[in-house]
Amino acid sequence: MRDRLKDFLMRPLAFPLLVGLASAAIFAGTHMYVVHGTGAFNDIFVVQMLDQGLSTGDFAAASGFAAGFLLARILEGPLVGILDIGGSLQTGVGIGIPALMLASGLTAPIHNFPLALLTGLIIGIAIGALIIGIRKFMPQGVIASGSDIMMGAGNSAGRFLGPLILIAAIQFSIPAGVGAFIGAALFYFWKKPITGGAILGAMILGSFFV
Amino acid sequence: MIIILLKSLIIGAIGGAAIAAGAARMFYAPETQGMGAFRTLGELNACKGDPISHLSFGLGFLFNAAASAVGSGAITQDVFHRIVPNWAAGVLLFKNKRVEETLYNPGKMALAGAAVGAVVVTFLNTVSALVPASAAEVAGNVLGPASSMMINPVMPIIFILAALDAGRYTGVAGVILGGLAQMIMGNAVPGTILGILIGKSIEEQGYTKSTWVMISIVALLFILIAYFRGFHNTILALF
Repeated sequence: MRDRLKDFLMRPLAFPLLVGLASAAIFAGTHMYVVHGTGAFNDIFVVQMLDQGLSTGDFAAASGFAAGFLLARILEGPLVGILDIGGSLQTGVGIGIPALMLASGLTAPIHNFPLALLTGLIIGIAIGALIIGIRKFMPQGVIASGSDIMMGAGNSAGRFLGPLILIAAIQFSIPAGVGAFIGAALFYFWKKPITGGAILGAMILGSFFV
Repeated sequence: MIIILLKSLIIGAIGGAAIAAGAARMFYAPETQGMGAFRTLGELNACKGDPISHLSFGLGFLFNAAASAVGSGAITQDVFHRIVPNWAAGVLLFKNKRVEETLYNPGKMALAGAAVGAVVVTFLNTVSALVPASAAEVAGNVLGPASSMMINPVMPIIFILAALDAGRYTGVAGVILGGLAQMIMGNAVPGTILGILIGKSIEEQGYTKSTWVMISIVALLFILIAYFRGFHNTILALF
């Protein structure tokens, strides 16, 4: 039975289904974040862009940022044979499309759990089918240039968040600030990204003095 | 709480299965279309089919994801990029050391990935729900200013510098579209990204049909956004 599952999953037509299921989960993860405040499948600074849209009603930054990644990754995926789920699904489908929907007043797919799964599934199947289509009909001609530069910039943007949290914590209160830099130093010592340590440290020490 | 638990189990199982199967397909790329990331493929290969390496690699990122989930509710991209593929591989390799029959098999990876995904996503979402209100308030007060500095001006600066460093056409397109985007959308990042795409296409392929298609799509996008955000009124007000 398992080998039949393997044979099925290796077929080209299984790809849109896999992208669909992954997108369903990621889109529903954004539903979780909007409704329950946890569960978005993305890094803090990307989710904060969506958050900014939720509180101000202006989704231009989130949708523009994410749509650029989605476009680049869909063009690149078929050429190299690996679809990057970070840019295409987690940022594009998980942040960009919800931001576009919320900006145009379409809230039902994000607020309703079954509808969120279904919306993600349909979007993902469409993306997967598009990629298989590009592979079939345009073996050369479409070239995605520049996505390595975007990725590089995206990754170094992530690095800035740790120091920014340190500064913001110190501006918020002294205990939070002390906690943030002790946490960051410990995480750095343990060879972990300092962002997590800075937030946890600020929360632990900061909440004693609120 | 029970609702969060149930939803997390469903999301984790569906997503975990798809991501793990997609990761197994990566080993047959480019003939077969896989999904994941090049770095994920590299990291899976670096663990050399040793279950302990796969599990401990994923565990490192689980701590990081938990810290992020507690602080902000964002459970990080690493859940699908690193934890699910590596733990699914690790679990399978405990029973059978031959990667051809485990890690490279999308069927087995899908089943293991569903189990791992359900457990990991549920863990992360319940951990963040258990955070006391005072700590969450501090996190909000720290993360809010930090990320608004991040969104403006840090990210626009990083992306514009990346465009400038990437070559003459990319720099020109990135600065112009970035400036327009800062005026029209309030943030230069989307414009700069589109500028990088256009500039690199011109640099590598010249003015081909696909470059022009991309330029027209971007121009249309800018005009539509400017119209819907009432930018023409701002311009008219200047005179």
